[in-house]
Amino acid sequence: MSETNVIRRLEAAGLPPQLSRFGEWADRHFKWVLVAPAVLLILALSIYPLVYSLVVSFINFDFQVPGHAFVGFKNFERVIADPVARWSLVLTAFLSFSSVAIEFILGFAVAMTMMRSFPGRGLIMSILIVPLFISPVIVGQTFTLLLQRPFGPTNYVLSALLGNEVTISWLTESPYIYFSLILADVWQWTPFMFVILLAGLTAIPPNLYEAAELDGVGPWQVFWSITVPHLGPMILLAITFRLLDAIRLFDTIFIMTGGGPGTSTYTASYYLYTIGFTQFHLSQATAGSWLFLIFTALVVVFLVRRLLKAETN
Amino acid sequence: MPARPIRRRRYRSVPIGRILLLGFFVIFVIVPLYWVFNTSIKPSSDYLAIPPVWFPDEPTIVHYTAALFTYRGLEGLINSIIISSAATVLSALFGTLMAYSLSRYNTGGQHLSFWVLSQRFLPPIAIILPIFLIYRSIGIYDTHLGMILAYTVFTLPVSVWMMFAYFRQMPRSMEEAALVDGCTRWRAFWTVAVPLAAPGIVAAAVFAFIACWTEFFFALLLTSKNAFTLPTVFRSFLSFQGAQYGEAAALSIVSLGPSIALGVLAQRHLVRGLTLGAVRG
Repeated sequence: MSETNVIRRLEAAGLPPQLSRFGEWADRHFKWVLVAPAVLLILALSIYPLVYSLVVSFINFDFQVPGHAFVGFKNFERVIADPVARWSLVLTAFLSFSSVAIEFILGFAVAMTMMRSFPGRGLIMSILIVPLFISPVIVGQTFTLLLQRPFGPTNYVLSALLGNEVTISWLTESPYIYFSLILADVWQWTPFMFVILLAGLTAIPPNLYEAAELDGVGPWQVFWSITVPHLGPMILLAITFRLLDAIRLFDTIFIMTGGGPGTSTYTASYYLYTIGFTQFHLSQATAGSWLFLIFTALVVVFLVRRLLKAETN
Repeated sequence: MPARPIRRRRYRSVPIGRILLLGFFVIFVIVPLYWVFNTSIKPSSDYLAIPPVWFPDEPTIVHYTAALFTYRGLEGLINSIIISSAATVLSALFGTLMAYSLSRYNTGGQHLSFWVLSQRFLPPIAIILPIFLIYRSIGIYDTHLGMILAYTVFTLPVSVWMMFAYFRQMPRSMEEAALVDGCTRWRAFWTVAVPLAAPGIVAAAVFAFIACWTEFFFALLLTSKNAFTLPTVFRSFLSFQGAQYGEAAALSIVSLGPSIALGVLAQRHLVRGLTLGAVRG
């Protein structure tokens, strides 16, 4: 029903006489009154801070240097020139792409095994989604408990399985440290892929499979010619959503490695956090976060928008 | 349950590969959780035993009492309950209001709804520094109010979009009938649409609560000694790594309970929750 239509019908029915002046005003601007609280909150605590940080990034706002002079692009140049900043960006890309790739493959495989009903399926479903409801800090803490020497059982179990002594410092030794971080991420977020892909898989009309079976089509061909094309938009959506969250990686870094050893596990978020909140180079941090924001905004504007249009229409 | 299983004739008698894969994955999910639980009830003297102790002979609750009282876990728990509940109520309320306007009046067209959605993907690091400075200057740094507002904004995109999707698939005829009968638009919304949308509102609220309950980044930077939430208590175990494993594990178990219980109860809506309503599970 169009808006004018609603008004016409309201007038035809006669607005109830007990409406106060405020009530009348609110009824006339009803649709804007409804969006006002949410929009005002987002403006105050998200848009205003973004503008604020843009201003800060062009001036000198550094607890170690007095004054607030306009410095142009100097803060941006400083971030771009910082080798740690560039390393953190590379590491963020590496960690998020590897985690998401593994989560996708594993999640897809598990979703395929859960397509048909079998006894205990409901219980297994409930178990598999549990990691989604756990704080990433606790996931980091959990894997610290599992991996840290000498407390964690990992090296003992590996030694027993492989037959010779394993003494790996999973949380302080490169490259194992990256493996540990990816492992924690995979544990927590594979269910995300699994749940979305399973919903996609079960939405494929079963008669397509029945027809393929009658025609004697092999399982691989069924997979490539029925499953994958039907699942396409869902796969894109799951990967995009997951990637946009994965590039924020901070909590597990904070708990498991503290960015160390040295700066070897600095992700973009962790780098900006240390610059801003432990070294108090506020301007440099805001400049860096704007660069990071532009980077993610491009993905959101081009990919997410198109995805949701496709899904909602 | 996010998805209904397909019933099909099986053309292989025993799918060994599938059972192995699924079994492996279930174990992969369970073992870390079990190890945390095991650590939380294990006496400290068993910590460094070789082979590792998987079933402690003398379970103890000392780690729980230490985590809750010595390390102020109880205060964190109470703060988490207050902040998450209040933010959930505000987020579900404001989210429902906005979603109704977006779906029934197409307010702001696609731009407004996409603008709200884009907030969901905004990296928190991009806004945290100014929020920190603003909070300090207006005196709501490290207060419940400050955290409630931050979490309301943080969860609004999901609430709005989940409810947006819910209202879109809900027929309008009842509200239209109410309007024809002379209801104000507000009454048509509040007494007709909201009760019909109640299951969707509850689902949106559950996901907002879980998001607040598990959030760490804002809490780390916007609180210190007063309004700190449960996840930030894990900071205090960091500097003493080695001695506080039991306390960290006990606090993990305490924190897991509510969010897992809610999540598993609401699993029917999980797909919509994870995809902001874009995919109907």
